[in-house]
Amino acid sequence: MLRRDFLKALAASLVVYQTPLLALTNHPKQPKVVWVMLRGALDSLHTLVPTFEAELQTLRPTLFNHIKGKCLPLDNGYALHPSLKNLHQWYQQKQLLPIVATYSGYKKRSHFDGQDYMESALAVPDLENGWLARLVQTKNKQAIAISQSTPISLRGANQLSKTWYPSRLPNAEQETYQALQHLYQDSPDLLAKLQEGLSMDAMLDKNSMEKTQKNNFVSLSQSCGQLLTQDNIDCAMLTLGGWDSHKNQAGQLERQLKVLDTGLQALKTELAEQWNNTLVIIATEFGRTVKENGTRGTDHGTASALFLAGGKINGGKVLGKWPGLQQAQLFQQRDLQPTSNTFDWIAASLKQHWHLNEQQINHIFPTSNSYQGKMFR
Amino acid sequence: MKYTQSITNENQAVIATQRFALGARPDDLKNIQGQAKTWLLNQLEVFPPVEFNKRLLHSNDILILHSDYRKALKLFRQQKLKNNAEQPQNPHQTIYKDLSADALEQSINSANSFNWRCLDFFSNHFSVTAQGQLMKGLAATLEREAIAPNLFAHFEVLLLAVCKHPAMLIYLNNETSIGPSTRSAKNGKGLNENLAREILELHTLGVNGGYQQEDVKELAKGITGWSVSRPDKDKQQGFVYRNYHHEPGIRHLMGKAYPEKGIKQGEKMLKDLANHPNTARFVCTKIIQHFITDQAPEELINHLTAHWHNSNGHLKTVFKALINHPLLWQLQQQKYKTPREYVISTYRALAIKKLPIKQVQNALSVLGQEPFKAGSPAGYSDQKEDWNGSNALIARINWASNLAAKKQLRTINIESFIENLFLTSLSTHSYESITRAESRQQALTLLLLSPEFLRR
Repeated sequence: MLRRDFLKALAASLVVYQTPLLALTNHPKQPKVVWVMLRGALDSLHTLVPTFEAELQTLRPTLFNHIKGKCLPLDNGYALHPSLKNLHQWYQQKQLLPIVATYSGYKKRSHFDGQDYMESALAVPDLENGWLARLVQTKNKQAIAISQSTPISLRGANQLSKTWYPSRLPNAEQETYQALQHLYQDSPDLLAKLQEGLSMDAMLDKNSMEKTQKNNFVSLSQSCGQLLTQDNIDCAMLTLGGWDSHKNQAGQLERQLKVLDTGLQALKTELAEQWNNTLVIIATEFGRTVKENGTRGTDHGTASALFLAGGKINGGKVLGKWPGLQQAQLFQQRDLQPTSNTFDWIAASLKQHWHLNEQQINHIFPTSNSYQGKMFR
Repeated sequence: MKYTQSITNENQAVIATQRFALGARPDDLKNIQGQAKTWLLNQLEVFPPVEFNKRLLHSNDILILHSDYRKALKLFRQQKLKNNAEQPQNPHQTIYKDLSADALEQSINSANSFNWRCLDFFSNHFSVTAQGQLMKGLAATLEREAIAPNLFAHFEVLLLAVCKHPAMLIYLNNETSIGPSTRSAKNGKGLNENLAREILELHTLGVNGGYQQEDVKELAKGITGWSVSRPDKDKQQGFVYRNYHHEPGIRHLMGKAYPEKGIKQGEKMLKDLANHPNTARFVCTKIIQHFITDQAPEELINHLTAHWHNSNGHLKTVFKALINHPLLWQLQQQKYKTPREYVISTYRALAIKKLPIKQVQNALSVLGQEPFKAGSPAGYSDQKEDWNGSNALIARINWASNLAAKKQLRTINIESFIENLFLTSLSTHSYESITRAESRQQALTLLLLSPEFLRR
């Protein structure tokens, strides 16, 4: 038997054996969710720019001068960083919904704690219990993280979550995989990982993913889009780092936002007609100081921005209450003051996207109060 | 917690090589049987605890090379149109490869690999990332110059050496942090709180260590002026204290006033942080999580913390206490090897005559743990969940089976290989699966992927 056939057969048997419900939940217009976590704290004032604020010029002279006059206009005086060309086009097509001054509820400026908050969405972060995991459990769906290990967002979902990351190594022989299944018969955790890994491989082989196996964000987004077109993958998580801009921020963000923009466009292209059934959530652990620091960068802050996107999102406007940039309007006189909780928006959009009831959404986001507006067109 | 009774000499030797050291080399188990604990305790007395190849570059050299390279590049850009000058070569990629190869090579060949594990632990505790031109070359010098010589010293000595090292100062932007009320603080130049925050959060007290935003700011001000020599401008090399960048005045940190002047102020603040009870607890918990189990037992934390307090943070004393505690000598393997541990222990076991160091480096890259590439000052994770994904397991399988197919391993004797690694501690099921494999290559692959070898 050829390796590919062996894997396919194995994958098929696993699906039937382990998750009989899967077959029942598949239908062509399956709503998809993509969670894009920006690690390192994105400076929202340099991304979703409030150009109406005269303070920008005085508080962040080098940063604002770098993009002044070049930003891509949105409504009410907001504008996107010039690198975000595709996102701007989505906005014009009403497929992007930016929300200002959001935060996860975490106010203490540690990246790692902040990310734990963002990924667990619990009052006291539990590193083994992520919100995306709770989401897929509610509806017995399948999620995949494009990463080498399971991120906190997806921990706790057990067999409903997988990870995938491109491999640069030639595969072992089929006999080796078989021998390993025997070797692991007394180690259930290793056996489960092995079988899961093999079934994933089989799925990707079918899609001839080998061609795009690179590990930059654009390729990963592309692979992510391809994986999501599979019937039995409903959610995916992508991460992009490189936002911790303490020094010479203007150049760093110009590059990094371009990467983000190109990657998200690649995701959309791969999703093709599924784009209309997809909700993309893009958020970061917290924001950065309103004032530029002593090294042409910004330090850790509090509120940042949230972006929701998708073919049917109720976009083309900027939501969220603007807190202002006057000294007295800032959080602890230094950070953008949060005016709404990121999870209120995420909860509202997921609730409508997946038709979840109050009890289900409270289980996924116990600390938030769903926003009541209409999130989809 | 129950202690496993009657751990045999054999098992003690296996535990010493796997849990404490970086894995057995072919003769290790035979040599240390009956004296495993002594073997570890003796390593603590070796000085220097680990030795690098002294002929490789020092951070001072790298700073000079970098400055020369920038100058040459500037000149090249100005003159490019006039003649066909050759573009100057960026030296940092080669430096990064050479320095990180040296640490791997020494770890794989060392007879004192417990010390190398301790170095890896603190190098990751004070993680710096090789990102950007200069940090690419500089990152690997932190463990060589600041951590290695102070590995078993008092924690305050180690902390100060790290915080005064160019790699840490540049990585966390302190070299350009300027006291906001000094004359130099103009044209947008001023305070940068990056290093101060990570010292509090990651190096000493820990994120729940009881500090506030105001403490971050005060520490940042306390270490203003802690900078790095610019080879074309400064006479000194390496760490430079610039008094004219230091924020004047009394600082307050964790409820205590620091009236000291100049560099003494930051030094005193760091010493107090190093000796704070929350630091002891935070670092001891991390040590336990690294050596024995992801969920550190309270009993062991208290035990180590007590030795830390009694010795004022003397790391040799703390590690001695760790080695001597019975919980560490339970046979059950509880840690899943990180890619670095997995690759190093594999090459130690194989003891290939001429170590193919590029192969080793490549392995770390494909398995996801390149040296100095954690990308965050928190370093690489030490927890199982971050390394045992299904995709990561498939990568290990593919890697191990490709390795086992190498020509120089075709004649390996599997039975003695098993004995060199496990004596008789390998489970019957694993032993039989491996020895009944259809080829020597497959047997070696299975051994490297056995539950007993994936864990430690």
